[in-house]
Amino acid sequence: MTKKFLIALIIIIVVAFIGVAYQKFVRSPPCAFDGSAVTPIYEVEIVLKDRSVKKFCSIYCAVQWFKNNHHLIDHVIVTDEIRGNKIDSYMAYFVESGLVTDETNDNRIHAFQQRQDALTHAEKFHGVMADDPFTMDE
Amino acid sequence: MIINIYTLIMLFVALVSLCLGGFLFYATLKMLLRFEPTAALETKSKFEQKGYLIFLLACVILSVRMLAWPWFYFMLQSFVPEVPGAMCMFGVTQILPSTVTFLQIIKPVSFFIMGGWLLCYYVDKSTPTAPLARLNLFFLLLVCGVLLADSITDVYYVLRMKPLMSVSCCATFFDVPLRPSAMIPQAIFGRHFQKILFVLYYLTNIILIALLFLLLSQKWLLFTALSRKIVVYSMAIVGVVNIPIVIYTHIENIVPRLMQLPYHHCIYCFMGRGVVPDAPIILGLFAVGTFAVGWMGILRVLCLNAETQHVTEHLLKKVNGLSAFCLLASLMMVTIHLIFT
Repeated sequence: MTKKFLIALIIIIVVAFIGVAYQKFVRSPPCAFDGSAVTPIYEVEIVLKDRSVKKFCSIYCAVQWFKNNHHLIDHVIVTDEIRGNKIDSYMAYFVESGLVTDETNDNRIHAFQQRQDALTHAEKFHGVMADDPFTMDE
Repeated sequence: MIINIYTLIMLFVALVSLCLGGFLFYATLKMLLRFEPTAALETKSKFEQKGYLIFLLACVILSVRMLAWPWFYFMLQSFVPEVPGAMCMFGVTQILPSTVTFLQIIKPVSFFIMGGWLLCYYVDKSTPTAPLARLNLFFLLLVCGVLLADSITDVYYVLRMKPLMSVSCCATFFDVPLRPSAMIPQAIFGRHFQKILFVLYYLTNIILIALLFLLLSQKWLLFTALSRKIVVYSMAIVGVVNIPIVIYTHIENIVPRLMQLPYHHCIYCFMGRGVVPDAPIILGLFAVGTFAVGWMGILRVLCLNAETQHVTEHLLKKVNGLSAFCLLASLMMVTIHLIFT
C-alpha cells in the first residue's frame, strides 16, 4: 500500500468518526416514530418505566407509538403551545382544531397548560376540546 | 417549475450539454464517416486538429455531466420543503414518478459510460500513434446518445416539476412489511434474510477487495494466463453480485441502524436529511468503487492491444487502486458507524 492510499484511508476513518460524534453529541434526537426533526414547541416526551425518554415531533406520532407500547410507559409529558412549558399530559388541555402542526402526518391536536388558552385556540381555529389521548385503561 | 439555485444550475448545465452534445454527436458522426486509417499528410493534420477539438469538447462536457448525478439529488432534496407532505426525497419522487425513475437509472449509467470513455481517451491520448481513435469515436457516439437522453429528460423534469399535489410519506413505502426490499431477499433466503444479507454484505465486499488487492500485488505477475483470467472474471462476477446485496443490506439492515430508527428503512432519509452526515460519502464511495471495477473491464476489453498495452496496464493499476480504496473506505465507514453509533 502506498503512502497516499494510507493517508486517504486515515482521512476517511476520521470523517466516519466525525459523523459518529455528530450523531452522538451534536444532533438532537429525531422523532422516535417517524424520524423527523422535533420542533421544541410541539415536542412530546414519553417517559418509560425504565426511566428512559422517547421524544416525538407531534401528538399524532406520540399517540401512534403509545398505542403499541402502552405497557412500557410510565407517563407522558407534552409541551404547552403558548409558553413552551413541559407539563404532564393528565394536567394538559387538548384541542382538536383546523390548525395543522405537521403537514406530513396532518396532526391537528394541540396541548395547552391553561384552559383559557385552549378555549381561545378552539374558538380561533374552529376546534373542539378533546380528551387526553394518552389515558391508560386500567 | 420550482425556481431555486439548484434548478437554475441544473437547467443551465442541461441546456449547455444539450446544445454541445448535439453538436458533438453531429461532429463525431461526420468525422467517423470521413475516417481513413491512412491519409495524406495535409489531410491528416487537418483531421488531427478537428479530432483534438472534438475530444477536448467531449472531455469538458462529460466531466460536467458526470457531476450532474450528485447534483440531481441535491436538487431533489431542495424540493422537499416545497412539496406538500414530503418528508424526504422519496416524497419528491412521487411527482412525475416515471421521469424521476428514468433519471435515477440513466444518471448512474451515464456516469459509468462517460467515465469509461474518458479512460479510453486517456489511453489513446497517451499513445503517440492514437490507435484507438476510431474506436473512441464509435464509443463517443454511444456516450453522446446517453448524454442527450439524460439532458433532455433533465430539462423536461426541471420545467415540468410543479408541487401541486400532496404526496405520501416514505414510511408508507419503505416501512410496510410487503416492501420490495424485504420481499425479494425473503423469497431467496427465507425468514432470516436480514442476518444472511448482513453476512453476505461483508463476505462479497471482503472477497472483492481481496481480489482487487491481489491484482495490485507483485504476486499477480507470477500467475499463469488462465488463473489471471479466472481471477479477473470472478472479480467482475462478484462486483455485479455485490450491487444488489449492498443495496438490499443498506435498506434492510444498515440504514435503520445508522439512523437509529429500527423500523425506518428509507434510503432517501439516510442520504439527504443529515441524520447520518457522512451517508452521501459512504454511498458515493461504494458507487465509484463498483464503477471502477466496470471501468477496468472496459479498459481490458477495448484498450488492451500491442501498442497501448503499457499505458493501459499502468492506468488499470491506478483504477484498480481507486476501486480497492473506495470499496474498503465505504466498508470501513459503515463498520465504524455500526460499532460506535
